[in-house]
Amino acid sequence: MLHRPLAALLAVLLALVIAACGSDDDTAAPPATSSAAVETTAAAAFPVTVEGDNGPLTIQEQPDEIVSLSATATESLFAIGAGDQVIAVDDQSDYPADAPQTDLSGFEPNVEAIAGYEPDLVIASYDPGGLVDGLEKLDIPVLLQDAAPNLDAAYAQIETLGTATGHVEEAEEVVDSMQTQIDELVSSASGADGTTVYHELGPDFYSATSDTFIGSVYGLFGLVNIADEAGDADAGGYPQLSGEYIVSESPDLIVLADTVCCGQTAQKVSKRPGWDQIAAVESGNIVEADDSIASRWGPRTVEFVQLIADSLEGVSQR
Amino acid sequence: MATARALRARLSARPERALRGVSAGWALAAGAFVVVSTLLGLALGPVDLGLGAVTREVLSHVPFLGVSSPFSGTEDAILWELRAPRVALGLLVGAMLASAGAAYQGVFRNPLADPYLLGAAAGAGLGATIVIAYDPGGGLDLRPIAAFAGAVLGVGIAYLLGRSVGGSATTTLILAGVTVAAFLTAVQTYVQQQSAETVQEVYSWILGQLETSGWSDVLILLPYVAVSTAVLLWHRRLLDVLAVGDDEAASLGVPVARVRLAVVAAATLGTAAAVAFSGLIAFVGIIVPHAVRLMAGTSYRVVLPLSLAFGGGFLVLMDLVARTVVAPAQLPIGVVTAFLGAPFFAVVLRSTRGVGP
Amino acid sequence: MMLHAERVAVELDGSRVVEDVGFELDDGEWLGLIGPNGAGKTTLLRAVAGLVPYAGSIRIQGDEVASLGRREAARKVAVVPQIPVIPPDTTVLEYVVLGRTPHLRYSGSPGPRDVVAARSALARLDGAHLVDRRLGSLSGGERQRAVLARAVAQDATLLLLDEPTSALDVGAQQQVLELVAALRADGSITVLSAMHDLTHAGQYADRLLLLDGGREQASGAPHEVLTEQLIARHFGASIRVIRDEESGIAVVPLRPRVESGQPVP
Repeated sequence: MLHRPLAALLAVLLALVIAACGSDDDTAAPPATSSAAVETTAAAAFPVTVEGDNGPLTIQEQPDEIVSLSATATESLFAIGAGDQVIAVDDQSDYPADAPQTDLSGFEPNVEAIAGYEPDLVIASYDPGGLVDGLEKLDIPVLLQDAAPNLDAAYAQIETLGTATGHVEEAEEVVDSMQTQIDELVSSASGADGTTVYHELGPDFYSATSDTFIGSVYGLFGLVNIADEAGDADAGGYPQLSGEYIVSESPDLIVLADTVCCGQTAQKVSKRPGWDQIAAVESGNIVEADDSIASRWGPRTVEFVQLIADSLEGVSQR
Repeated sequence: MATARALRARLSARPERALRGVSAGWALAAGAFVVVSTLLGLALGPVDLGLGAVTREVLSHVPFLGVSSPFSGTEDAILWELRAPRVALGLLVGAMLASAGAAYQGVFRNPLADPYLLGAAAGAGLGATIVIAYDPGGGLDLRPIAAFAGAVLGVGIAYLLGRSVGGSATTTLILAGVTVAAFLTAVQTYVQQQSAETVQEVYSWILGQLETSGWSDVLILLPYVAVSTAVLLWHRRLLDVLAVGDDEAASLGVPVARVRLAVVAAATLGTAAAVAFSGLIAFVGIIVPHAVRLMAGTSYRVVLPLSLAFGGGFLVLMDLVARTVVAPAQLPIGVVTAFLGAPFFAVVLRSTRGVGP
Repeated sequence: MMLHAERVAVELDGSRVVEDVGFELDDGEWLGLIGPNGAGKTTLLRAVAGLVPYAGSIRIQGDEVASLGRREAARKVAVVPQIPVIPPDTTVLEYVVLGRTPHLRYSGSPGPRDVVAARSALARLDGAHLVDRRLGSLSGGERQRAVLARAVAQDATLLLLDEPTSALDVGAQQQVLELVAALRADGSITVLSAMHDLTHAGQYADRLLLLDGGREQASGAPHEVLTEQLIARHFGASIRVIRDEESGIAVVPLRPRVESGQPVP
């Protein structure tokens, strides 16, 4: 089941590649023709105005020298078929594997280095100050897409990218596909209402409340996030909990998003002093998620939702 | 002879308070402070276990009293596997930092000295940052070792640098320490920036935390703190003599360089071990000894033992605040010690200055 | 022979601050070191105390100073520095008890005997009433008495004083010097002091040693060393020496004559 959405995406990509290579070939299969048509239609759709977190942005022509400083945006760009138009991605954009990774930093962007690529569109998810201003001064169009707070916002971002890069229809397809799959997964795990969950961002007990994207995913399943009570401590939605609290709440499900950064595993977690009292540890409902999937809000969110749905089966079987 | 006898009579009539070390009153106050903070630390927390229930649980471990424990498995785990080791760690770290701070202030004759003066903090920070940035998978287990090694190396280099420049005069050593600390901090900042995604982890380590991995941490730290504070206490009278300066102390027969080395080595070892587990908790090492001086007197025979006790209790209370004020979230303890410690010290300063002959 | 020094030389920072100095002190004697600023008086005292390395020989009661351990040296020699470090919040008693340090073990604390020794030292210096006072609240004269008491509490037989009256008013100066003289009269203490006031040096010391440029320039009884020529040559000052049956000797500075030869009114 995990591979169907991936296969669908690959099919779209493949079709676009064929279309790009054989746009003169009238005997190409219908998808290719329609993609070619999409491309021409796309080119004709410019100039467009899209809305980013830095305000409206008008893009004159279809961009084909895109620099992405956001790992999520990179994934989305490739998913909607704009991968060819991307010339450089930041050092954290490790998916898909053939994305042109560079040393550019999304955390500490260097405007000069970015400008060196002579991009006609820059997409970022984080502006530590000076990035947007600096690029605007150089007349480089920049689209800022902050971390989406929920799925709807994430879908909107993908659609925006579609408009910005001339892949409106593919973007809609990707979003539709995501929505469908997520709805299926959520309804298949019905009966998980009220299950408590603890999402671990780090072994020092940093967690994410329902105000965050990943928190909203849990909300889809009707799960109760134990970090919500600590929401006041951190306006951004990432409070540091205390070990006592986690043990006393005894969550039914523990999701580890620190398996890569900090080497946490289900085994290590169950050995923590006092944690053997937690329901999730007793029943073995500890999920090891990939850090990057759990921290991005792009098309692979479906994988994360899948992971949760699968583990909820284990919970409801208690 | 007659004179001596007469003097001895006067002696017993007027006890030499300062020469006797810690007075009974202060010893009692210190002990009570430690006991009360420990009890509060055990009884209170983000999870409300109930003061009465905690008391019964503690008593149930005392033989022959026949008190049964009202706790469930979870509550028992919270109290004994999470809270108690945390309180114990607080006592050890607080005692160590405060006494090391007092010892440094004595051996450098500088009221602004704290246990991080010679580069211990910068070295520990660098060690921890390197581990966090470059070995994320192995992470947690290497961190204390790297921090400890970093602290010891930092001070060692500062000491050697000072010695090579010109003897072990206090100013030279302090300057060497400042130099080494600045350099190590620069390297640490660079390493931290190289792997920007771990910045939050590094920062949170630097601000300090008493979250433990259970009793094992406490048991590892205990011998370091015990040995270190024993050596410091052993030198407390000598610290008083050092107060009149290197020259005069030497003319009074004190081997100044050796004493300084012994005190710095012991204080650094203990501080490095404490910092390895708790991160760089600021403020305790400077403020507690000064508060003790203002309240109980300046002789190190008083300041060192009282700093031990008050430092431990103080840190336990600070940690209590850190884990309850925004419960169930927690604040980094370094923030709390500064935020609460500074006004408290201002109060002590105001109420005791201007009092006295 | 309490103190015997021979061909003593001290080198500091590459230059010879003391060169070829020799002298002797008998038990109970008071030798005054005089000389212009920078003559090497303080350095010579530090060498006798064992605080700087020296060439030559300095023997205290037969023992070479350089071969004595720190504590041994401190039990024989007590130093009263020119500018003592005064921790303001320490009480006088605590401060004087510091003088007992050479008699205590490395980590030992002062016992009742040490307290008695400290109190009696203070009493000998008319300072018994200062016992509980904070050092920071004392006057200059009182402070000097506390420092002296600390030195006396060391139970050393040789007392080195470095310009003991430099920061004091005339009354306090006399008081301190009289106290030192009284200590000597008790019989147990030999005194070697550097002094800047030539009259006091002449009135209190048994013998004087004049240092200039690190070298011995003259030594002997006060009236032999305090002469107009020697003072003029080594201090560049014009003085008159007055000898008086009662007070002994006084050195009176004279204002220089105007060129015309007329005395200045």
